[in-house]
Amino acid sequence: MPIRQKIFFLTIAVVLLLVILELVRRRRLRVEYSWLWLASALTIVLMILRYDLLIWITGLVGAVIPTSTLFFFSILYLALLSLNYSVRLSDLTRQVKELAQEVALLRAESSSSWGAPAARPPDPPRASAK
Amino acid sequence: MSERVLVVIPAWNEAANLHGVVGELRGARPDDDLLVVDDGSTDGTAELARRLGCRLVELPFHLGYGAAVQAGVKYGLRRGYPVAVTFDGDGQHDPADVEPLIEAVRQGADVALGSRFLSPGAYHGGLFRRAGRRLFSLLLRALTGLRLTDPTSGLKALGPRGQTLFALARFPDRFPDADALVLARRARLALAERPARMRQSHNRHSMHGGGRAVAYTFNMFLSLLVAAAGRESDLRG
Repeated sequence: MPIRQKIFFLTIAVVLLLVILELVRRRRLRVEYSWLWLASALTIVLMILRYDLLIWITGLVGAVIPTSTLFFFSILYLALLSLNYSVRLSDLTRQVKELAQEVALLRAESSSSWGAPAARPPDPPRASAK
Repeated sequence: MSERVLVVIPAWNEAANLHGVVGELRGARPDDDLLVVDDGSTDGTAELARRLGCRLVELPFHLGYGAAVQAGVKYGLRRGYPVAVTFDGDGQHDPADVEPLIEAVRQGADVALGSRFLSPGAYHGGLFRRAGRRLFSLLLRALTGLRLTDPTSGLKALGPRGQTLFALARFPDRFPDADALVLARRARLALAERPARMRQSHNRHSMHGGGRAVAYTFNMFLSLLVAAAGRESDLRG
């Protein structure tokens, strides 16, 4: 890899790293999510410094040119990332639903003239019977 | 525990129909508690429900039919109602069909469904709908061993165990359908079906119209498999 290219891509990778660290520092990015981004940035740095590693992986997976390897893994990585976001979104959707219902129920309770819930709790769910 | 019946009326922009629905229910069933669940309406449905003297659960934004029903069921569960009836706010159900469902619950059913197809002069729909329904009916039978003719019915009576199931966090909250019944079966609830007349829905946003039918069928199919193959722990909330 020509030195000019190396410097250019290294600069980008370092800026990316700094942005991630700054986001974590300002608590804009939760620490538990940041490791993924840090790992991504460090991978880029590693690929720049050790181009032979990429060539080795290319041989390993049986690809012809290193660029294909790079693109393949980048796309795979992005796809997995989206999948991960979908899972998180599903969780959040359920949580928002539960919260919205809870808010509505509490509001109904506090504003109603119908009184508090029955003193006796409802029957335990037999739904849990094995 | 009160012996009263809670009638849960999910309503999304039903200001035009709600007056009739509540009036009819009051006429036919004066002793029941009517609960309107306003699902983020923008047409004053909540205001109308309040003016009509109904109990009201007002969702802060639109959540969808299943989640609205679920909110109403949670209300019933917390107040210890022995029976909660779900009754659509668009006027498609007939209050006269409620009593047999409540009777079924009193006789031990946990979930009693009002079926369009058990009543005389039933509505059967077009060829595709019938074919689709037949498919789900067979699938449901294969999965639950039950012959249920109308899993999509919005008219249901739920006993305490039925209410507990419907209130689960992971309960299907789009349109509880055949998947809900598979879950009910897996949770070993007793299911029953009674005839019910369904009127032509005034519903402007019918959930089974046009191209959405295909998407719905597909979603339902997936949801059924999820319900059948889901984790046991999801049945406990």
